[in-house]
Amino acid sequence: MSLAAVSPVLVVGALTCSLPAVTRPTLQFGVRVPRERAGAPVIGRERRAYYWRTAAIGVCCTLVAVTVQGHWPPWLTRIILLPELAADFGCFWVARRKIAAVKNADNWFAGLRQTVVADTSWRTDPPRFPVRWLVPALAVMAATAAVGALRYPGLPAHIVNGSGHRVPKSAVTVLIVAGQLYFTAVYSGLMLIVHRSRPDIEAADPAASTLRYRRFLTAVTRALLTMAALADLGLLLIALPDWQVYRLSGIGRALPVLPFAAGVLLLGAVAARTGQGGSRLNGNVRGLAPAAGTDRDDDRFWKAGLLYVNRDDPAIVVGARFGVGWTLNFGNRTAWLILAGTVAWWAGLAVIGAAAGM
Amino acid sequence: MLLSIEPDGPVPIYQQIRDRIVEAIARGRQPAGSSLPSIRQLAVDLGVNFHTVNKGYDLLRQEGLLRLGRKSGAVVRRDAGSGPPDPGWATDWTGRLRTLLAEAAAQGMPATGIVGECEAALADFAFPAAVAEAWNGSGSPP
Repeated sequence: MSLAAVSPVLVVGALTCSLPAVTRPTLQFGVRVPRERAGAPVIGRERRAYYWRTAAIGVCCTLVAVTVQGHWPPWLTRIILLPELAADFGCFWVARRKIAAVKNADNWFAGLRQTVVADTSWRTDPPRFPVRWLVPALAVMAATAAVGALRYPGLPAHIVNGSGHRVPKSAVTVLIVAGQLYFTAVYSGLMLIVHRSRPDIEAADPAASTLRYRRFLTAVTRALLTMAALADLGLLLIALPDWQVYRLSGIGRALPVLPFAAGVLLLGAVAARTGQGGSRLNGNVRGLAPAAGTDRDDDRFWKAGLLYVNRDDPAIVVGARFGVGWTLNFGNRTAWLILAGTVAWWAGLAVIGAAAGM
Repeated sequence: MLLSIEPDGPVPIYQQIRDRIVEAIARGRQPAGSSLPSIRQLAVDLGVNFHTVNKGYDLLRQEGLLRLGRKSGAVVRRDAGSGPPDPGWATDWTGRLRTLLAEAAAQGMPATGIVGECEAALADFAFPAAVAEAWNGSGSPP
């Protein structure tokens, strides 16, 4: 069985199914709800329905992937991801619509003091970026450069890569180095931007939620930088057979996948432990600051409950609405530039790969 | 300092920013010489336009409470321990206070209630030791 073709379908199914569990109670399926309404019957009902529906979709798609793999090429098997994601989004949409309907009908925010809270110490005493956690990724890149420099002159002009294609040795080398640069630069660059972005502070518990967010940011940054190192290691393991350092056969050919899998598991474990914005962490400092009110009902800025579009907000990156992570403010031009840069990078790599016949 | 605003409230956002910072200075949470976030940073943290924060900071600068510099950023210029205010400012403030008290009286609030509210607010502020002692000695607010 081709693990590389089937595992993305299984992993995506498991991740999308578990997203409500790591999302904060006051943000249900992209709908902002007051803390006192977080236990409303409609929310519990829709969460259960979402779990069952997405689990069924994940199982069905994985079964289809297992059945067709070997008959279809691996890239065609991965296309199952598209209907799987579309169906999962459908489940999200149904839950969101039903919760929003009850929220609007009963006017959950009526009479509540809706506030936005900023902690000025976030800027005067900002969290430090854990630079030392970049060392493993840089070490793997240095090792790759060293091995590549040693092996490259002795390689034939064209080599047969792991997929069995005959490609120029320069193309393989460029793609491996570019891939490592991408993972290291993009992950650390994004986390640097996130360190400068605003924290997720809950108006009902501002001091404690700021403390939790600091711990969450540290944990996720370390996990992502470790993930970058593991992804770089995976690329090195892909390059070594191409550079004729060693040959892998049978199940050993799955070796380069292991660092990627370890990285995904690590990120999943950190997300499960911390929750969205650190909402699952302990950080009880009640009494330091009184409740400032209820979080502002900002549903109107979230298109389809997932895309943030607010032209008046100068933030480029904001906390994700569903699950753990961050998203771009599509009302900000810089966010579009970042998106265009990412697309251009991948398009460039695809062009290099296509030109090399990979 | 936790700065809380109501973006959809009746008071303009720049005014709320100015008011919250004044309160923080009075409570001793932002003493003279302490830094505040830059205009850009506070705008990002509150999710509001740069110009809104700029307007709030500019009010504080005009009132002599904030110093805005390219290198130093936004720094609190004076607090309760910085000595008596400018006479012109005091005259202006007395006029505004009179209007505020008149509003309470016009709405039927009893004099004892008005004084009680004033005392409760003053008790929350961080006056320097000398001023606080004078208050305790005379039995009335300074």
